[in-house]
Parts: sequence; C-alpha cells; structure tokens
Amino acid sequence: MSSEAERLAAGKDGVAVSQEPDTTSVAKTKTLVEVQGLNAWYGPQQILSGVSMQFSSNRVTAIIGPSGCGKSTLVRCINRLHELVPNAKLTGSILLDGADIYGPQVDPVDVRRRIGMVFQKPNPFPNMSIRDNVVAGLKLAGVRDKKKLDEVAKSALQKAFLWDEVKDKLSNSGASISGGQQQRLCIARALAVEPEVLLMDEPCSALDPTATAKIEDLVITLKRNYTVIIVTHNMQQASRVADYTAFMYLGKLIEYDETASMFETPKEALTERYITGKFG
Amino acid sequence: MARLMDMGLEKVNSLLLEMATISENAVSESIDVYRKGGDGTSVDRLSDQLRVLHNQVSDLTMELIARYQPVASDLRFIKACFEVSYGFYRFGRYAHDIVEVRDIIGDVSKCDQRPVVEAAKKTQEMIRMSIDAFARRDVETARMIPQMDDVVDQRYRDYLRKVITGKGDLRCALSATLILRYLERIADHATYIGDSVVYIVTGVSPPS
Amino acid sequence: MNARRKLVDRFWIAFTLVALVLALAPLASIIYYVTVKGLAALNISFFTHNFSQVGTEGGIANALQGTFLVVLLASAIGVPTGVLSGVYVAEYGSKRYGEIVRFLADVLVGIPSIVTGILIYSTLVLSLPAPFRGYTAFAGGVALGFMEIPIVSNTTSEALRTVPNSLREASAALGVRKWRATLVIMANALSGVTTGILLATARIAGETAPLLLTALGSTRGFQGWFQAMETMTLFIFQNATSGTPFLVEQAWGASFILLITVLGINIIVRIVTRRRTTFV
Repeated sequence: MSSEAERLAAGKDGVAVSQEPDTTSVAKTKTLVEVQGLNAWYGPQQILSGVSMQFSSNRVTAIIGPSGCGKSTLVRCINRLHELVPNAKLTGSILLDGADIYGPQVDPVDVRRRIGMVFQKPNPFPNMSIRDNVVAGLKLAGVRDKKKLDEVAKSALQKAFLWDEVKDKLSNSGASISGGQQQRLCIARALAVEPEVLLMDEPCSALDPTATAKIEDLVITLKRNYTVIIVTHNMQQASRVADYTAFMYLGKLIEYDETASMFETPKEALTERYITGKFG
Repeated sequence: MARLMDMGLEKVNSLLLEMATISENAVSESIDVYRKGGDGTSVDRLSDQLRVLHNQVSDLTMELIARYQPVASDLRFIKACFEVSYGFYRFGRYAHDIVEVRDIIGDVSKCDQRPVVEAAKKTQEMIRMSIDAFARRDVETARMIPQMDDVVDQRYRDYLRKVITGKGDLRCALSATLILRYLERIADHATYIGDSVVYIVTGVSPPS
Repeated sequence: MNARRKLVDRFWIAFTLVALVLALAPLASIIYYVTVKGLAALNISFFTHNFSQVGTEGGIANALQGTFLVVLLASAIGVPTGVLSGVYVAEYGSKRYGEIVRFLADVLVGIPSIVTGILIYSTLVLSLPAPFRGYTAFAGGVALGFMEIPIVSNTTSEALRTVPNSLREASAALGVRKWRATLVIMANALSGVTTGILLATARIAGETAPLLLTALGSTRGFQGWFQAMETMTLFIFQNATSGTPFLVEQAWGASFILLITVLGINIIVRIVTRRRTTFV
C-alpha cells in the first residue's frame, strides 16, 4: 500500500484501518440537505419552480438535465450564492441538518463555510501561492498559526490527490499548474475549511479526459467524509460517480432515483427521452 | 431525431427477425421429417445459419454497448436481444435434434404420431406468438405465452407416464418421447422470448 | 478592378499616415521647443534660488518645494477617498447606486479646474477664520485634492472591474467576509489601481488655474501651510507673462523640468505595471 493510501486509510488515532471493500454504499445514511418548494428568479424570469428533493449524507447525488434547466441555479441556492446576484430572488426553504439555511437568524457566510463549492472553470487566486490558495479560506477568516496552516494545507492536498504532484512547489503561483491540477487545488481549497457538503458545478467541463478521470476517482473517495452534489451535463459521468441522480427540466424536478435504476428503467417518459439522447 | 446508435439497433433488430423466420422454418421442417421422412440436411443447414447469426448478434450487441454506452430502453433492448437471439438459436438446435432422432431411429410413419403432431402445433403457435410479440414489442401477446407452455408441458408429462407402462413399439415410444422433450424445451424458450419482450417494454423481469 | 482597389488602398494608407503625423506633431513640437529653450535656462542658481522677478538670480527652488507639498496634501485627500469610492462603486454598491456614483465622478472630472478654484477660493480663502484665511498652500492642496478624488475613483473602479468575477465567487463560496474578500480582489487589481493613482498625481501636478486662486504664489520658501506658496505651474505662468526675456527663459526651464517629471512618472507607471505585486 502506498504511503498516500496508508495515510488516507488511517483512522483518527493514526492507526491504520484494514482496507475493506467500500461499504459506504450500504452504510446508514440520512437526509442531510432537503430542498422544499424552491422557486428562484433572476429578475422577472423564473428559473426554478417548486423544486423539492433530498440529498443523502455521505452519498454522491448528480443533477442532470439540458442547458437552462436550472441545475446550476439550484446548487447556487443551496450555498446562498444565488442571492449575491443583483435582482435575484427566491422563495421556499432549504434545510441543512434540519435547520433552514434561509432562516432569519442565519448568517449566509456561515452557510457558505459549511457548504463548499467548486466551479466549472478552475479559479485559484492567481496572486497567491499554491499553499496559500489551499488555506485561503482559513487565512481570510483570521487564522494566523503557520504550523496549523501548513498541516491543513498538506491534509487537504492529500484528500484532493494533489499532494504528491505539488509538494515540492508549494510556493509557486496557484495559476502555474495545469487545468486539472488547478481544479484539484480548488477542491483542496474547498475542503480545507471542513465543509459538510461539497457542491460541484460541472467541475470537469473544462478538463481533458485524463484530468476528468482523476477528479471522478476523487469524488468517489470524498463521499466517505462529505456529502457531494455534482451538477453535470455528461450523463455518463453521472452514471459513473453518482449513487443518486436527479433529472431536471425547465426548472422542475422530473425524476429522482438511484442511478442504476434510473439509467436502466427510468419512470418518466421525459427522462427516458433525455437520457437516450432523443431530446433536441 | 436519428441517433448514431439507431443504425446499429436496426441492424440487430433485422438480424433477429431473420433468425425468427429461419428458426420457425427449421422447426416446421423438422416435424415434417418426423412425419414423412426425408433428408434432414436442409434443417441442419438452417441450424448452422442460426448459429452464425447468433454470433453476429452477440458481436453487434457488444459493439453497441462499448461504443455508445446505451441506457434505459436502448440498454434493455440490447440485453434482451442477446437473450432472444439465443432462443432462436436453440430453436434451430432442437430442430436439428428432432431430425437426428428420425435419422437414428428410422421410419416412424406407422406410429401413432398424434401426440407429437398436436404438441408440435401448439409449440409452433407459441413460436409464432413469440416472434410476433418481439417484432411488435407487444406485451399483451407476450403475456399469453406462459399459459400455452403449461399445455405443452402437460402433454409431455402425460405421454411419459403412458409410455413407461411398456406397451407398444419401442421405436415409436422412444422417438415420440425424445421429440416431445425437445418440443417442451422449444416451448420454454418461446416463453423466455416473451419474458424478454415484457422486460424491454416495462423494465420488469419475471420473478426467478 | 484589382488595380483600382490597390489604388484606393494606397490612398487610405497615405491618408492615415498623414493624419498620424499631424496628430503627433503637437507633441513632437512641444518636446522639441521645451527641450531646446528650457535647457538654456538650467544652471545651479536656477535650482537653488527662489522665484524672483527682480534681477537675474531667480530660480525654481521654492516652486519645486511648493509643487511637492501641495501635491502631497492633495494626494493625502484624494487617494484614500478616491480609492474607497472606487471600491464602493465596483464591489459594494448595487448596480444602480454604483452607476450613479460613477456618473457623478465622470461629471466632476469634466468640471473645469478653475471652477474648483473658485469654490475653494470662496470657502477657504475668503471665509475661513483667521489665521487660516487667505491665499494658502493648504487651500491649494485641498483644491487639487478635490480634483483628484473623482479621477482616482474612476481609475480604481475600472481596475477592480477588470478582475474576473470568478475570483469574487471563489471567495464568497469559501465563506469569507465581504471586506476580506475585497482585499483579495484589490490585491489582484493592485497594478491597475497604482497606475491610476500615479497618473492622477501627474495630472494634478500640472494644474494651474485653481492654484491661481488658492496658493497664489510667493517669492519665499515654505512658510507654513497657511501662507501663500509658489508652485512650478504658477512659476511658469508668472514668468511667461512677465515680458522680460530672462524670466521667459526661466519659464521655459521650469516647463522642461515639469515635462521630464511628467514623462518620468509615466515611465515609472510602465515599469510598475509589468511587475506583479502580492499581498493578502
């Protein structure tokens, strides 16, 4: 077992846990994020209509659908990024571990720390080093302890399968590495603040197939510790990485099921048409 | 909207329909050989053809899966096609087996051929229905096949019970027993083909 | 047809070349005349003596001092206010308020400098209680500062606008407070912002009209903020209109110094924009 795998397998006490086959798919899960009757607008245009669904903890849920179906808007509502756009509006509620993140006492900045996000185009901070990029969330929250920051950086980079590739150039600019590496850097940056949920908005769209494969492998390991929601326009990607898949069309949720079921026997005619490519 | 995969799916479909016709002919010819005698080489040729076609279907379905990553109804269709193709191939094999019985045992035209002929009629009707259900993806027709299978099964068992009493010409009894057995197996495969049609349309497999 | 098109083509090339020459001619002639006539005035006493219209012993010593001090005060007023205003327009204001402030800044930039001069004249020069009343270096600095604010505000907001939105989203998604995220954005726009500041400084250093009504001019060195003060631009104005050949020559000399200073600042700006700056 490589040293990297050893470290990943080690439990909290640093004692190595035996490498068992992945049992998270049968491990107990609960609903961590619940969307209830969500409607969202950009100005006068309604993007989401009455969307309700549940996301299970420690699972990967994919959201698929044609362009303009509202899947990106949906995830941006989940981490309260939607409201930062001028003229954006929404109604409905989203529960994180039972509490509405749009409640009156809730601090949106806190929500965004608990629900992290990775974007379509990798966006590392170009004027910061790789190491500073990873811990940017902590530094910008006021953490100054250099030793702690270095530890967090290493741990996050390991979780993102990037440590070995950049450990000798941590002080290089965040923009000096390849696209696929930059995206893993952004994932490490998101993980460094220890979120509960990780949202990924078409994270592989801008990457070549090899880089995409690395990130897909990464996503599957992430579900051990995080709840992953991934938006993708690539159905094969959804069928590869996701435990559950949600199909959206024109702002509505059409079908939600275990991935294997949906891709073998979808229940809605619209879903069938979309995933077999009979849509326009 | 035509998709890249549609051409491949049509090819598989037409291969299967071709196999359907050939296997139907093979079975009816083999029954004729039982009744009136004659050369079994024609049936053997048809059986070989079916084997070749089955291999083509097998290769084509693998290629479609590897190249196009089909899902949903396409995926179910491709999976089912492989099973249906195997069914038609088995029709051909049993037809060959029936002719072989006649070949080894010899002239049985003086025997009481009624049990075989009646069972064959039922079986051939089931073959026709399974082909029809597949060609039209008709779940109604497919659902009628299992009952008929029960009839053929019953005929076989009844004859078996009668024949062990030992009365009558051994040649007649043996040939009829073997052929009824083959007809029973053909009927089973026709049922499986019906099940495949239901699976293609509804995604539901029969409980095992 | 081909020959005719070639001819038309050549005509346009010649036409635009002539236009280019005509456009560059004024700049070329300024540089030529100022250099030729100005160099003649330069000697040791030119740099060590104060402005004097008597005899042949005058120099730009106090003018240099005055320009430096007045610009210093103007920048102390104009730079922080202008930068903060630019940050507001680019990062905080809703689209509408941001546009209003930007529009007002554009208008202010276009106001003739003499009008600013009159404003400061009537409020500070005439109406302040003694001993702050009268023509003062302070009033001069304030007048130039007022002019500098909208210029710096606009250049700052423009520079911030060039920072891609993906970085703002990245900071927001990390759960970072808005003001800390703004620091990150500033860091990425630093060269643009500094350019704006330096160019604004160079520009107000060359202003004359408001100083006529505020600092007025003086033959003495710096006597305190609430006394009149000489500047380079006032020196040129006073000497050029004096009629005495020696003094006119002095005016050319001062013009030359002013010109190379402005050129110098522009060159520094070029160098600054090439290097990358880092902070967070």
